[in-house]
Amino acid sequence: MDHRHLLPEEIDLLLDGEEGFGVNPLKAHLAQCAGCRAEYEAQREVALALEGLPHIAPSFRFADKVMANVQVFEPWHVSLRDSIRRALPTTQVGRTLVFGTGGVMAVSMTLLTVWLAHRADAVLFLGALVGQRLREFVAGGVHDAVVATVGQGAATTVSSNGLVGVGIALSALAVAILGTAFGLKTLASAARSRRG
Amino acid sequence: MAPLLDLRNLPDADLVALAQEGREAAYRELVRRYERPVFSLIFRMVRDREVAEDLAQDTFIKVLNHIDKYRPEFKLSSWLFKIANNVAIDHLRKRQLDTVSIDGSPHAMSAAEQEATSFDVVARQESALEEMEAKELGSAIERAIKKLRPEYRACIMLRHVEGRSYEEIAATLDLPLGTVKTYIHRARHQLRDALEGLRE
Repeated sequence: MDHRHLLPEEIDLLLDGEEGFGVNPLKAHLAQCAGCRAEYEAQREVALALEGLPHIAPSFRFADKVMANVQVFEPWHVSLRDSIRRALPTTQVGRTLVFGTGGVMAVSMTLLTVWLAHRADAVLFLGALVGQRLREFVAGGVHDAVVATVGQGAATTVSSNGLVGVGIALSALAVAILGTAFGLKTLASAARSRRG
Repeated sequence: MAPLLDLRNLPDADLVALAQEGREAAYRELVRRYERPVFSLIFRMVRDREVAEDLAQDTFIKVLNHIDKYRPEFKLSSWLFKIANNVAIDHLRKRQLDTVSIDGSPHAMSAAEQEATSFDVVARQESALEEMEAKELGSAIERAIKKLRPEYRACIMLRHVEGRSYEEIAATLDLPLGTVKTYIHRARHQLRDALEGLRE
């Protein structure tokens, strides 16, 4: 190392504070060679001057100006979480009460579900019973509506003829509606042509 | 939500996570934390306080409006410096294109033509802003930095003012590591020469 001066990149290594066994001979050379030491010191002076440069502050309102142009976006899950947090009581007692009640309800519902699952036959029977009652209620309502509209006699005829009877009655009704509409339209166009 | 005092002690990654949840205080803390380094870098690049402030604002607006796209494997400060350097370089390029010689058109064929295309600059009084700039950038080293190429300026600032490693500078400025080392080496030499010149 003593036979030559330090290369620029070797001086850079020393300036950058690199450590390692390769750097020690460079340091040893620097201690002996006045020329290299002068070059290193000159570079070090520049580095120190740069490192002493202060950060410069922008204007006082800089952050406000930036924030005026920034869109702060809150994702939905964060809003939801915050809403729940806001809805919960702030006191420890209140929170304990809410969580306690919730816990009791959750346990009760779970137990009820488990019990119903074990008693599947009872659930099925109850379901069938409710379904039948519902069907009877709807059929009764429809029958009452038909009687009120077309009278007891017609309703009895339709019900005695079954589905075919209902079909014929509905077809007759449709023909009557279409015939009426066509007649009204013809009358209207005749009146318009007479005015024209 | 974390109170403001706590935000000051949070690492960048946590602060970004809060900003991604839409916490305005986290955005403000990020601005507070990096406004000086970012502004300093840009100011030393463009050397005009008003322009530097606009460009620094652009930098923060770009970063904060895309905070949801931030990748944690990249340092937030590196991302900020990358954008800051890009906006400063873009501005300098644009300013170079917009520059008009006061000595007349370079395509003038005669002295009369040159005179016809030249214009006078009215002597201005130094404004308060310019005075402040002179105070801030008036030291020997600042004047020496002014003479560096913008690419060298960015590298030397990141290395010596921000204390970044060569690898970080390379990643921040999208430059090969060897190029960064060369730029810093040349910048140091030019600064040394400029400082010696100023001393003489």
